[in-house]
Amino acid sequence: MRVLLVEDEVRLADNLAAALRDGPGFAVDWAEDGMAGDHMARQVSYDLIVLDLMLPKLDGLGVLKRLRGRQDRAPVLILTAKDGADSIIELLNAGADDYLAKPFDLGELIARAKALIRRGKGAAHPTLRALGLEVNTLEQTVRREGVPVDLSPTEYRILEYLVHRPRVIVSKRELLEHLYDYNWEHHSNVIEAHVSNLRKKLDAALGDRDAEAAPVIETMRGRGYRMAPEGPGEAHDLASDEPKAGTDRLR
Amino acid sequence: MRLMLHPRSIAFRLIVAVLAVELVSSVVVVFLSFGYERHAHFKSFDTLIHGRADEVMAAIGDADDAQDDVMLDQSVLHFPQDEVYEAFDDTGQVLGRSPNWQGAGAAVPPGSKDGFVELEVNGRMFRAMHVHGGRFAGERVRGQGKMHTVSVLYGATTDRVWRAIDGAVEFYAAGSLLLLLVTGPLIAWLLHRGLLPVRQLAALAAQVSAEAWHFDPPASARRTPELAPLTEAMESVLQRLERAFLQQKTFVSDAAHELKTAVAVVKSSLQLLNMKKRTSAEYKAGLERCLGDCLRLEEIVAKMLTLAREESARNGTGDAQATDLAGCARESVRLLETLTALRGVQVTLVEPDAAVGRSRVAVAEEDCLLLVENLLTNAVQHSAPGSVVELRITVEGPEMVLEVEDHGDGIDAEALPHVFDRFYRGDPSRTRNTGGTGLGLAICKAIAEKAGGSIVLESQRNQGTTATVRMPAAVRAEQVVGR
Repeated sequence: MRVLLVEDEVRLADNLAAALRDGPGFAVDWAEDGMAGDHMARQVSYDLIVLDLMLPKLDGLGVLKRLRGRQDRAPVLILTAKDGADSIIELLNAGADDYLAKPFDLGELIARAKALIRRGKGAAHPTLRALGLEVNTLEQTVRREGVPVDLSPTEYRILEYLVHRPRVIVSKRELLEHLYDYNWEHHSNVIEAHVSNLRKKLDAALGDRDAEAAPVIETMRGRGYRMAPEGPGEAHDLASDEPKAGTDRLR
Repeated sequence: MRLMLHPRSIAFRLIVAVLAVELVSSVVVVFLSFGYERHAHFKSFDTLIHGRADEVMAAIGDADDAQDDVMLDQSVLHFPQDEVYEAFDDTGQVLGRSPNWQGAGAAVPPGSKDGFVELEVNGRMFRAMHVHGGRFAGERVRGQGKMHTVSVLYGATTDRVWRAIDGAVEFYAAGSLLLLLVTGPLIAWLLHRGLLPVRQLAALAAQVSAEAWHFDPPASARRTPELAPLTEAMESVLQRLERAFLQQKTFVSDAAHELKTAVAVVKSSLQLLNMKKRTSAEYKAGLERCLGDCLRLEEIVAKMLTLAREESARNGTGDAQATDLAGCARESVRLLETLTALRGVQVTLVEPDAAVGRSRVAVAEEDCLLLVENLLTNAVQHSAPGSVVELRITVEGPEMVLEVEDHGDGIDAEALPHVFDRFYRGDPSRTRNTGGTGLGLAICKAIAEKAGGSIVLESQRNQGTTATVRMPAAVRAEQVVGR
């Protein structure tokens, strides 16, 4: 999952980015002011935007209004040092999804961030279930038909992203975009290697119990990957190579 | 109609004053009318009895007797019952008198001029006129006869006159009293109407509160010459108050934001460190970062307290101390040697001349040091390595001028008016490199203003910034004595 952090206080931003990377394993981009944040939100389809309210150049409310003005549906978590119900009401009415008052608890911030991402993708419970898979997003563990599967952090993140949207074709570019922040080199063959390993590990979990089982992650040649459908023809072939437009339509 | 008749109200006092003036005027009117009526009535009374006395005099004629006497023909005299008269000749012999009287005796000496006398007749006061005249008895043509000097005294009671006077005075007094009774409520009503603009103004002023500063004085109050200055004063006071209140509110909100953010940094640093097991080297590095965050929090609190101290003392410059500005400048340059060396910036202090050496500014030494240090730190931090920061101190007339000039990146024109605002940071990316709380220049301004001076910042983008502080100069006291 990729998160945009818009925060002008550099030490706070450092800590938040570190916590979001270390804890739930999100890819975090940091913008130091409102204009930069707005600019970055236009480039990438973020799974969550953590937005400070008092920002130089363009304040948090302004960023939020621009975001919602162009129909961007990314969940937004506001960080505010302001007191008073009025400003909170104004924020929520302007399209914010949640807020945290400074000084906040880091654990709470992470929990809310996860919940917002989950909700943004239509899941209500932190444990995701699809196609015999069980992904516990809190413990970051995966079971297939009850058998634990040991995954590397990147493999887990790929699986988590795919499980959030079963039966949808996810392009390699979209995967890259949501798993890595700006500081990573983007190579699609990295994804291919990780998906290949992931598929092997998931198959290994089944052993020879159900050799007839369809592969969980299907490769759609030239288009990307999707969690295998229960029956052919049911797939909603909506993904495209333009990840921004594709994700927007899917959410 | 609700009358404002509180004992201390203006309306009440005005009513009382007007009624008192009215009362005094009525008393004066009554007295004057009494005097006038008495004069007028007595004048006509006197004319009346004069006429009557002349009538009596006319009735005196030749008695046609051998002694050539005169006599009074009373058959032609018809006077009111309560009036009296008497006629006598120079021998004192009474020629005739009214039947209701015994005579006045020798009240009127014969031969005296015409005039009035007061008589007591039958126990009542009478006013009487005596007239004198000559009467010839006998036959003048034949050289016979005799000249008689006769006197007539005619009197009437003054009771009627007094009754008339009393009546008139009573009429005036009653009229005045009635007027007084009518005008009291009338004035109250008029005042109530007349004071309507005051009440409207008060009602609107009462609506002003810390939440709702809007004050739109009624047009009636603006048009009233007595209320216009008050209205204007209220408006300007409210505007100033609102501005001060808003400033204070902004400051509190900004301060809360800064403090909460600083606390959030400390808290998140600690929680991040505690999120998972770490090596002791990681813990050590983490703890050092936390300490750094704490120091920053400490700096913000210290600067806020300094600013509060400087601003609260702004109007009370009673403890003005004579401080050597040039000395402070030298000390600041020495204190900042480490920073300037670190940033590779050269600081030159333009050597003060003799006049500067003698001059002092009315600031406490620590404040003076803080002022120069803050400006110098700003200049050094915004200078590129290798550039020069110039510190100049001069005396211009009654003022000491401190200039700190750097050749750094400068400040944007749109940011320049806000640099003295509390918590204002012109360029966030720059403060990120240099730290800073956004309070330094606000503190400088407070110090300069406390000393009765001013501070301005001039800047050109990419050319540099010059901070100029002007403070009233004071020549050191002992040198004045020594001369």
